[in-house]
Parts: sequence; structure tokens; C-alpha cells
Amino acid sequence: MAGNRKSQSAAIRFGPALKAAFLCLLIAGSAIGYVWQKNEIYRLSQQIRQGELRLKQMADGNEKLRLKLADLRSPLMLDQRVRELNLGLAPAQPMQVWRLPEPSAAPPENSHSTRQLAARSADVLLTQ
Amino acid sequence: MTKRLQLRRVLALTLVVCAAFAGLGYRLVDLQVFRHDELAKLAQDNTQREFWQAPRRGDILDAHGNLLATSVPVKTVCADPSLIGNQQAVVAHALAPLLQMSEAELYPKLFPRVSKNEKGETVTNNLHYVRLQKNVTEETWQRIQLAMSQLSFGVDEKKLPKTGRAFLNDLRQSAIFADPDQMRVYPNGSLAAQVVGFSGVEDLKLDGRPVSQISGRDGIELALNSALGGVAGWRVTETDRQQHELVALRDEDVQPHDGLNVVLTIDAAVQHILETSLADAMQKHTPASITGIVMRPGTGEILAMATLPNYDPNKPNTISPATRNRVITDVVEPGSTFKIVVVSGALNDGVVRLNDQFDCEQGHFAYAGRVLHDHEPFGMLTTEGIITKSSNIGAAKIGIKLGQDKLYDYASDFGFGQRTGVLLPGEVGGILHPVKDWTKVSVAQIPMGQGVAVTRLQMLMAMAALANDGWLMRPMLVSCLEDRDGNVVQKYEPQRVRQVVGDSADKEMIEALKTVVSADGTAAGAAMKDYTVAGKTGTAQKVENGVYVHGKYIASFIGFFPADNPQLCISIVMDEPKEGYYGGQVCGPVFRDVAERCASYLNIPPDQTLPLVANSGNPH
Repeated sequence: MAGNRKSQSAAIRFGPALKAAFLCLLIAGSAIGYVWQKNEIYRLSQQIRQGELRLKQMADGNEKLRLKLADLRSPLMLDQRVRELNLGLAPAQPMQVWRLPEPSAAPPENSHSTRQLAARSADVLLTQ
Repeated sequence: MTKRLQLRRVLALTLVVCAAFAGLGYRLVDLQVFRHDELAKLAQDNTQREFWQAPRRGDILDAHGNLLATSVPVKTVCADPSLIGNQQAVVAHALAPLLQMSEAELYPKLFPRVSKNEKGETVTNNLHYVRLQKNVTEETWQRIQLAMSQLSFGVDEKKLPKTGRAFLNDLRQSAIFADPDQMRVYPNGSLAAQVVGFSGVEDLKLDGRPVSQISGRDGIELALNSALGGVAGWRVTETDRQQHELVALRDEDVQPHDGLNVVLTIDAAVQHILETSLADAMQKHTPASITGIVMRPGTGEILAMATLPNYDPNKPNTISPATRNRVITDVVEPGSTFKIVVVSGALNDGVVRLNDQFDCEQGHFAYAGRVLHDHEPFGMLTTEGIITKSSNIGAAKIGIKLGQDKLYDYASDFGFGQRTGVLLPGEVGGILHPVKDWTKVSVAQIPMGQGVAVTRLQMLMAMAALANDGWLMRPMLVSCLEDRDGNVVQKYEPQRVRQVVGDSADKEMIEALKTVVSADGTAAGAAMKDYTVAGKTGTAQKVENGVYVHGKYIASFIGFFPADNPQLCISIVMDEPKEGYYGGQVCGPVFRDVAERCASYLNIPPDQTLPLVANSGNPH
């Protein structure tokens, strides 16, 4: 049987109030969370777009540099530049190349590594 | 009474509301169930866009990573004529110089075009998409965007109604747009052009919108088109009014798989050496064409392969049938270079020895109703002397002694009459008739290089087999396939085909071939200063319409060095040279030039210091 109103306490009933407040907070939190999430999705999609554009720009720039490097390394280009600048460069002739014997498996102490060196003329002496 | 009236009103209202809800319900079911498929597609078409993501075509690199072919990003500039209204003249005036077109050429393209489809129905596919210019650089595209944003139409736009201002805004922002594209570039121009090949653009239709795709047309570009091409990706997404993608609404995003890089065995520097030497010879002897190949005999790796005249793949108008890769597409009678087949076969079978004597009949030898000739009269010659002097009669006699079956077997084992398997399109197998189709004189003619037709590459492979202890190799042009990060995806290894002659016969043959570049040989001009050379000359009369043509020759020299430890095998062939026509005379010096420069570049140790022989001797 329901109690008499007059016999009920005049104090606020915190249980239902808390429940109601919690429910309100939940709904409000969900709404704010939803909006925040949408904002984040938008912000991140913008970041992705910017990132993709930057990546593409860098990839394109890289391609251009690669092409430039290929031009600079091209034998045709090098040959042409050598002639244009009149550098008088030419490959070393076999007689201009001093070939030292390959080092043995256990090299003697204080020996230096063997190298191939090109000298300008055959009578240049190599010193180690 | 009042209550009954109220009740009626409530009932009527309820009925109206129910009827309204029933109507709405029916509409809902109609839209969501009965017409679902139709409307879903319509909704999707209104919002979603599918973009084709082209893969980047792989590069072609030489053995040291030098770029021989690459793809660079460019733009294809397009227009939406429906957004241009009647302002075509203004737009054409602003863009024509940037697109490198005349205004008269550009102006008509900016009008909406209506076309008819295959059913004869009028379609307006071109209303929103007209391609104005391909291969536009990023810098030019930025200038186009700037020019469009600054377009002036000669009216006070503030006084225009809202729709008028919106139209001009749309025109500036969206009427001209660009599709990403790529362009094939060959940084070294004509270097190794016939090996690298060239590519073209194929226009495909994707959802009624043209899409261009690069595809190989010749050379490695064609042979490895699928590996170079990669696999396209796609993106299903939504766009705003300016056709900018709304990344948040991206639905599918499948990235393209870029094409693989092809690493060749070609060395750009060796190729350059070969091409410059051939160009000098071309100038000196003005042949119809000249070809050269440089190969490592031990592995079959081709370091250089060139044919002049050649073309620049960056300039498609320089490509013609005359610039084909004659090394693999053309067959000719080899002439005396074919003597290596019969002599090495006879040595291998023990039919002859190096110092066996043959009577060369003083230059005239009647056999099977035909008279065979030498380029000069010889008496008794050893087997070695036959190679040294390049005696046709001596070779014919060795061929007769070897027998036609064995001769055929050796020619076949050396790879004649079949494709070498080089990774290039258009290779032919040459002609080596089966023995049953031979005439009586064939056994004497074939040893001197008549009655067979070979490619330059086949002849080089045969010589390279002798330089490789008798082992015939498969020619190698591709070293590996790698991804964009340089990871090797597929590695190609040298392949042995078969051992054609044994070690001892091979060594004897090399001894004989060494004498060819001696003062008594036919190619003294091919001798190198610091290396022992072994090789063979060839001078074949050209055949036109089934008859030998007087005064037209194919001259050749194929050799390798250092003879006892071969590092390089080089073939030089000239078609109809002037100022001399003997192989040793015209091709020998070219061989020496190429060989000496390559030896220097590749740092090949000299095997001995030989006295430089003057250009004397018998230049056959």
C-alpha cells in the first residue's frame, strides 16, 4: 500500500534524480561524442588529403630529380660535356694501368691492401 | 449529441490520418522495396565516383642502374564545355599559348559536342569532358590554373545577378581540369633504342570516360609489357561540387601495383662505345646498315647491341622499318664466318686435325656440277691455314669429309635454324634446311656460308660458344626484375644450352682463329695491341630475288679476346659497305676500336703485349 504523502520525508530523493541526470548526461555525451567524432573524421580526412597531396608532390619531385640525375649520368651527356669543355679526358690505356698481384690468403704483417692504380705514364713509379 | 459529433470528428480525423499513413507507407514500400534497385543505383550515381588509379610503369635500367626508360608524371588537361557557356573565345585566348595550340584549334573544342552512339541515339557524353592537351607538365598546369582564376570577361561582376556570378565562378574553378597521367621518357635518347624499344598510348573507355594507358610497342617495352605495366587500382568515393574528393566518404581504395623495373645486362657505357664506333664506321663506309653486339661469352650477357640507322624513342616520327633491330630480325647468308661450324665440328669428330693438309686447287674446284672459287688461289693449306686464309675450297673439302648429316647436326647444335631465345620480340630463326632438302652441292656450299641464312645474333652465339669451352649459352638481355624499392623480384641466371664441341677441339679451333688476325690472316686490322684476339671474317654476296647480286656484300668480323681467357665476344656486320667490302678490311678495324675501348673501360687485364700489326694481309 502506498504510504501517506504527509508521512514521506520532505528531503530530495537522490536516486531517481541521479538516474535522470545520468541519462541526460549519457544522451548529451553521446550527442557531443557523435559531433566530436564527425569533426575528427573531417579533420583527419583533411589531413589524409593533405598528406596524400604532399606525398604525391614529393614523389613527383623525386621523379624529376631522378630524371635530372639520369641526364647527368648519361654517357652521351658526359661525352658531350667532355668535348664541350675540351678537358682532354680519355680512358686509361692498358699500359697506363699498373696491376699489382692479388694479396695472398694470409697477408704478411705490415702489408698494405693491394690496389689498382692508373698512372699518367708507364714510367711513373708507384710507392706504397 | 455533442459527444456523438465529437466521436464522428475523431473517427474522421483518424481515418484521414490512417489514410495518409497508408499512403506514406505505400510510398515507402514502393521506394524502398519495389524500386529499390533502380533508385539505389540512381542515388549511387549521384553521389559516388569511381576513379581509376593508373599504376606507374616500371623503369628500364642498364646493368649499373642508369635510366634507359622511365615514366614521368604529367597532366592531361580537359574541359567541361557545359560550364563555359558562350565564353569560349575568352578561354581559348587565355589557354592557347599555355597549351601550345592556336586559338583557332582550341576554340571549337570548347563547345559542347553531341555525338551518336552505335544505336544511333544522340548522346551527350562529350558535354562534360573534352580532352584538350596531353603530356602537360605540372608547372604548365599551375600556370593554366592561375590563368583561369584571373579570367576577365569584360563585365562588372558585382552588378550581375547571383546566377551570373555563380556561373563565372564555376567557369573559373571547374571548367578546366586535369587528369593525372604519365609520359614515357628515354633519358639517353637513341642509346640502345632497338633494345629498349618504344611505347605508345592506348585509349580505353572507363565508364564512358577516356583513360589512356602506356603500352610497349617494340623491344623490351613490348617483351616485358605486362611486368612493366603493373596493375591498376581504383577508388570509390564521393566528390563535392568542384569535383574535389570527400576523403571522409571514401568507400573503396585499392592502391595500384606499380610496374616492375627491368634491369638489363646492357652497360650504357659499352653501348655508347659501340654506337659511337659504329657511327664512325657508318660515316666512313656508308653502308646501308651496320650492326654490332658485345657479349660476355661465359654467361651470354649482352653488354651492348646496336643497329644503325637507329631512332630516338622520344621522337616517334624517327621510327621506321629501316630502323628495326636487324641483329635479330634480318637473316643473311653468313659467308666465311660459318666456317667455324664445319671446322670445329670436323675437329671435334676427329675427322680432321689442325695440321692436316688440303689441296685448295688453286682457287677453282669443280664439285657436283658447280665450280667453287676462292678469293685468291691457294695450293696446299692446313686446316688452320684454311681458317687463316678463309679458303672456301678448303672449307668445302672439310665439309665433304665431315658428311652432310654431321654438318647438319653441328649447324643445328650451334643454334642455327632456331631462335636463340633472346628476350626481344621479332626474332627469327633463320633458315637451315633439313638434309633431305639439300642438293648435292649443299655439303660443299654450306661450309663456306652459302645456302643457310642466319641472324647476326645466332652467328655471335656460335662464336661465343667457341670462346666458352664449346658451351652454347642462351643470350641474356635481362638481369633481373625489381620493385620500386630495388628489391629483386625475379633474377635471371645464365643458361647453358648444350656443349657443341669438346674442350680439345675447342682449344684447337681457338688456335686457328688466333691466326686470322695475324699478318697472314684475313683480319690483321682487328689485332689489338695488348690482347690476343681470335676471330673470323666473313664476306657474303647479297642475295636478291634468289640470285647473287654483284657488288653488294655483307661484311662481318666476329671475334673475342683475350683469346685464351675470353672476356668479350664482339660482332660487327656491315650491309653493303663502300670503300672496301671485305669483312677484315671494313669490320676488323671497327672491332679493334670497340674492343680496345671496352677493354679499357672494363679494365680487362692484357694477356700479352703484341707488336701492333699494320693493316696488311688478305682482307677477306
